[in-house]
Amino acid sequence: MHHVVLDRWSRGASVIHRRDARAKTVATLMFLVALATAHRSFLTVGLGYFAILVAVMIAARLPLGAALARAAVVLPFTAVFAVISLAAGEPLAAMALVEKSYLSALAVLVLLSTTPLPELLHGLEHMGVPRYLLMVVQFLYRYLFVISEEAQHMRAAAQAKSASMRRVLFDRSKFGAAAGALGVLFARSYAHADGIHQAMLARGFQDRFRTLSRHAFRRADAVFVMAAVVLLAGARFFAEVWI
Amino acid sequence: MHIPDGFLATPVWAALDITAAPAVGYLARRAQRGLQQSKVPLLGVMGAFVFAAQMINFPVGLGTSGHLVGAALLAYTLGPAAAGVVLTAILTVQALVFQDGGVLALGANVTNMAIMGMLAGYLPFHLWGTGRWRRQAIFLGGFLSVLTSAVLALSELLLSGVAMPAAVLRISFGLFAVSAVLEGAITLAIMQALESINPDFVRKPQLNGGRVLGGVGLAAMFLAVVGVAFASTHPDGIWKLAGETGIASHAKALLAAPLADYQLDVLHSIWLRKAGAGLAGVTLIYGACILCGRLLARQRGA
Repeated sequence: MHHVVLDRWSRGASVIHRRDARAKTVATLMFLVALATAHRSFLTVGLGYFAILVAVMIAARLPLGAALARAAVVLPFTAVFAVISLAAGEPLAAMALVEKSYLSALAVLVLLSTTPLPELLHGLEHMGVPRYLLMVVQFLYRYLFVISEEAQHMRAAAQAKSASMRRVLFDRSKFGAAAGALGVLFARSYAHADGIHQAMLARGFQDRFRTLSRHAFRRADAVFVMAAVVLLAGARFFAEVWI
Repeated sequence: MHIPDGFLATPVWAALDITAAPAVGYLARRAQRGLQQSKVPLLGVMGAFVFAAQMINFPVGLGTSGHLVGAALLAYTLGPAAAGVVLTAILTVQALVFQDGGVLALGANVTNMAIMGMLAGYLPFHLWGTGRWRRQAIFLGGFLSVLTSAVLALSELLLSGVAMPAAVLRISFGLFAVSAVLEGAITLAIMQALESINPDFVRKPQLNGGRVLGGVGLAAMFLAVVGVAFASTHPDGIWKLAGETGIASHAKALLAAPLADYQLDVLHSIWLRKAGAGLAGVTLIYGACILCGRLLARQRGA
């Protein structure tokens, strides 16, 4: 499954990987805001920002081609609206949609593939996001693959019993069978959650996750944020002046 | 429909982020208070369940199939506050890990689906979940949750000036209506399956008065949906409203007397008009949020 790829990438040890999660989060947010608010000069700004992202990816030793391709998952959705904009006689708006949505997705991808999700969520907690919500996010991510696998097994079992979707007419019993399958999946998930909680209590869980890394905001992190400010604002400024 | 970054105008996404943040904080606190501590893993695992549930296809006929979206189902089984937290967590994971929906647009997506869609889905169940109309209420909840989210997303895109001609708007509204009916049917089928497995999975709505207020809220929502359906058949009007003057023109008409001279200058620039439109929309949504929250809080407390 391709999400595991992000997990693997995020465990690197490059200069970018070693920066504090808060520094990277702030830099990514600045990137997104600077991109989203670019209007007149969005094409040149986009080129400059693309170059910045590529430079960061090279510094983080991410596989360029694979990362660029992964960010393209936004394009099908965007393409629909871009085509509509084109048809409505707004080619510039269409280009802005494609560029902004792709670059934003790429920026978030770079953040996630240089920061493990638990680190990122821990950083967000320090930045004031409610811990309760972040714990739910972390549990969700952890058990996503467990429950998904269970769903896949159920689907495989149903197919083995020759359940098929290729019916012209609506079949009430098959609809009911699918609902029953989901009901069972729900019940199993519920039981899972109970077992998980018991196991956690047995290991002394006390209402919060702890991570091994030290989460110190060092001077290098401050320099990283400064560099991000200068680069992003500089690229934006040059683009505005030239146009 | 998860809105990616780059689609919404700055005033729209910024305002919706500002709206969603305190609302999610409130929901998180309510969920934390209302549930035992053991529910933290439960909420996460239920979020994973909703993800996984999308792998199970429901045959619709004509060789096509649909899948569960889940906002209403979560509200029926976990309660509205916990459901809001779970849906927010789902949207966050989708935005961060799967690049499905933007990070700046997260506030918009959370408002559309985790807050407004979820509340719209819960309201019918809350009102009629125990009586004779239980099955209809469950179906209606699923239907409204999808339709409300879709209508909000469409109007945010329109407010942001994304080009959507008449035909496109009509087609997408039709598609959303079909998927809303499907969600209602799937939600109802799963609820029946759940109740036959273990009736304790489903929360009992506690209704102690407030039925009138809830009915008014539901009626308002119906009016809004019908209004949008009507407007989408005459989209030139809505297009003009959203693109040129925005809801600001409404505010202008309402505030005409005290602000007669002032606002012509203020609303002169396009950016301010758009910002005004965004803010007016957000104020409306926020008001609706607070109203629903109060309603739920009072009934829980009573």
